[in-house]
Amino acid sequence: MVDEKYAGQEKIVRQLWKTLSVASVLAVAVAACSESEPTVSETQSGDGTDTVELAEFPDRPYWGDTHLHTDNSVDAFGFGTRLGPEEALRFARGEKVTATTGAETQLSRPLDFLVIADHSDGLGATRRLYDAPRWYVNWVMGDETVLRWYDMMHESPEQSTKAVGELISAAAEGNVPEAFADPEAAAEATKDIWNTQLSILDRYNEPGVFTALAGYEWTAMPNGNNLHRVVMFRDGSDKTRQTVPFPGISTTAPQLWEYMRAYEKETGGRVLAIPHNPNVSNGLMFQMTMEDGSPMTPEYAALRAWAEPVVEVTQIKGDSETHPYLSPNDEMAGFGVKGWELGNLPLTEKTVPSMYAGSYARSALLRGLTLEAQMGVNPYTFGMIGSTDSHTSLATGDEDNFWGKHTGNEQAYTDRANKGQNLGTREGRFGWHYLAGGYAAAWARGNTRAEIFDAFARREVYATTGPRMTVRIFGGFGFTEADLDGDWVRTGYTRGVPMGGELDDQGDAPSFLITAMKDPDGANLDRVQVIKGWLDASGQMQEQIYDVVWSDMDSRRRSGGRVPAVGDTVNRDDATYSNNIGATELRTVWTDPNYRPGQRAFYYVRVLEIPTPRWTLFDAVRFGVKLSDEAMADAVAQERAYTSPIWLQSKS
Amino acid sequence: MNLPGWAREPLVHFIVLGAALYVALTWGGSPPDPASRVIKVGASEKEKIAESWTLTMGRSPTDAELDQAIDAYVREEVLYREALRLGLDESDAIVRRRLVSKMDFSASLAAETAEPSEEVLRAFLKENPELYADYGTENSRVSFDQSFFSSEAEARVALSSGANAGEATSLPASIETTAMRDVEARFGQDFVSGLNVLEPGDDWQGPLPSGFGWHLVRLRERATEPPDFESMRGALANDWRNAQIKTRKERAYEVLRSAYRIDIDR
Repeated sequence: MVDEKYAGQEKIVRQLWKTLSVASVLAVAVAACSESEPTVSETQSGDGTDTVELAEFPDRPYWGDTHLHTDNSVDAFGFGTRLGPEEALRFARGEKVTATTGAETQLSRPLDFLVIADHSDGLGATRRLYDAPRWYVNWVMGDETVLRWYDMMHESPEQSTKAVGELISAAAEGNVPEAFADPEAAAEATKDIWNTQLSILDRYNEPGVFTALAGYEWTAMPNGNNLHRVVMFRDGSDKTRQTVPFPGISTTAPQLWEYMRAYEKETGGRVLAIPHNPNVSNGLMFQMTMEDGSPMTPEYAALRAWAEPVVEVTQIKGDSETHPYLSPNDEMAGFGVKGWELGNLPLTEKTVPSMYAGSYARSALLRGLTLEAQMGVNPYTFGMIGSTDSHTSLATGDEDNFWGKHTGNEQAYTDRANKGQNLGTREGRFGWHYLAGGYAAAWARGNTRAEIFDAFARREVYATTGPRMTVRIFGGFGFTEADLDGDWVRTGYTRGVPMGGELDDQGDAPSFLITAMKDPDGANLDRVQVIKGWLDASGQMQEQIYDVVWSDMDSRRRSGGRVPAVGDTVNRDDATYSNNIGATELRTVWTDPNYRPGQRAFYYVRVLEIPTPRWTLFDAVRFGVKLSDEAMADAVAQERAYTSPIWLQSKS
Repeated sequence: MNLPGWAREPLVHFIVLGAALYVALTWGGSPPDPASRVIKVGASEKEKIAESWTLTMGRSPTDAELDQAIDAYVREEVLYREALRLGLDESDAIVRRRLVSKMDFSASLAAETAEPSEEVLRAFLKENPELYADYGTENSRVSFDQSFFSSEAEARVALSSGANAGEATSLPASIETTAMRDVEARFGQDFVSGLNVLEPGDDWQGPLPSGFGWHLVRLRERATEPPDFESMRGALANDWRNAQIKTRKERAYEVLRSAYRIDIDR
């Protein structure tokens, strides 16, 4: 690190390594093996520029997961996974692998890209701890708690899960034991794992076929309030080898952004950060102030908007689009909320309703408009994606192929839906609260590191809760139905902006070209909604849901301002559904009927599928498990997609 | 680092490993024999403990630290032997599995970082044609026009009447030299299986079903490149490595197993 600012930083970093990167005995052995890394071509190790022919416009959504953990993550290993990055990549590419608990598994359709996001704190530490001789842990580290964890990890998978739950709680509460370790050796080990990882990524990165992006998870968790970010790089390993993962436990987000800026300055590369599941941040993810409670400065807002163009709004640990308390008029607002609304990650601090606004994406977008009105810069201009946050090395987002949040609730644990779940918590949450996980869709011109990253950077991305529906929105002025019948993609790009874009207010109501196609191998669509957020004349934040197009519009007439429910074909006894309701494609041109000149506003699209079985119902049928009444009531849901917003910028 | 061929043989690894183990276990004349009640910490043991400390800590231990390390060594040795005496290693499934995976790991370690030569990869390709049977299809590129109908009957009527224009859809009417995987991502699995069996030509064919409905298709071109070594090289190397790891585990096991007489009462 060259910046003077980093002198203090380095001290924090060292301390962290000292604290978390416990046993480093294996570091030497690992380092010795990695000297003879196999070489790969420049095509594979670079950022993909000039390697494939690019389409004129982004021609299809590329599907990926930006949030997957392998056995290099402290908690994933502790929870039991023994699959590493290589298996993770093979699985994401569509190949068959054997899960830790023994069964063979495969994706029904491969993914197009993957970011392995192992925790930067204590990278590989639990694995090293586990592999260390007991005398080393007992005597060299000399910490009763660490020794107890060590023994629990070796006792049984259940005890191992418990031990790591305690470790997470301790990290959340800021009292990880000051186990005695050599920080230099541990730092060396982290660097070594990172470099080994980069080599593996290059080997599986194949422009045009599959993109393996470098990244990690930065895990700040003050008092257990989740402020995690996934850090994702655009670059090939020539640049990413010049950095190491930045630890999160005792650093702050502005320090992370400084680190990112320094990386770009040093290497000429590009990097971004993705805040993830803000739903358990207890209002800290999207505050109206700086982290320390002081008024937000334009510099801070600009830095944040630059560093974090995208937010992960849906994943295994629930959905963060909005909460029924924040959006009382949104009848679809309750998805993936149960269990996660109770408190922070380890449930050490209960959530009170005043915290919700800082924990959900829609309210954050609204807060952004207010902050922009106050200081001229909007810190919360983000697009939306979904991912898994799976800790099994298996990027599964499909309901009928849910491999669990971690190895302790893989399919081998057939009653996992009913069980209380103890991720550092002792009460309140159950297996069925987990979602099966989501995916990120990136509208790119080709499948390379550079193209996928750039789609994220310009927010031309969207979130789904797992299904691969194709959703497109262009914003502009004066779009008509005739535009949809012609070469509408060209029209959208030339006369308007795609999702993630910004429109300058021209005194007319904006109009939108909107198309949504069902997942070609999935369920039909119920409806397409536009969600508008704006500041009214008195500066108050407002939101409105517009049903803009839905299936069977002739027979499903709006009544009392509401579109009637699409119906429900799910058979609870065998976890099947029929595609004889809903639509295969919904498209429309929509003009904002409530536009007022000078309004600051954003618009995004939410697409709903017809009701389908959740993973819990598939489990119940497959394993003959009887779901609890609560779990059964939640065993069918309407999967969905959220696009990134288009902003209407006021000229003032 | 390129090792000679013999150095990569699992058998050699096991002999070396076995020799190392033997030396380690007999060094100083105190094998960890659970039956023995003698724990000897002589000059050589002390040296080993000090070395281990130095390796980990980057400096030599002080006298006090060394004494502590020796006490810890003795404690572990006592408890370890008592555990063996109690047969805990045999009854504990976790310990057994852990040992098994350690053995597997040592057998596969070398393969994980080995760099295969072109010769090796070509041979691998030749020996495993089934792994790449679909490579040509998956990587074939197609150009086609399609028109969409929500019912099969309408599509058939359109095909027979020659009025091929379908219903309005956001699916592209034409696809130009696009990889089958990209076609599958947009049109789904059913459509791709249907498309795979069509012969290219100027005529409209079908209807092919998809998740959306029914499609008439004019498959203008299908370019299926025979698997080309250079383009497959990366995939081959990854697959070879995985196969190596698996084979090494199996062969290492075979070597060990051959030393046992297995008597199964079936």
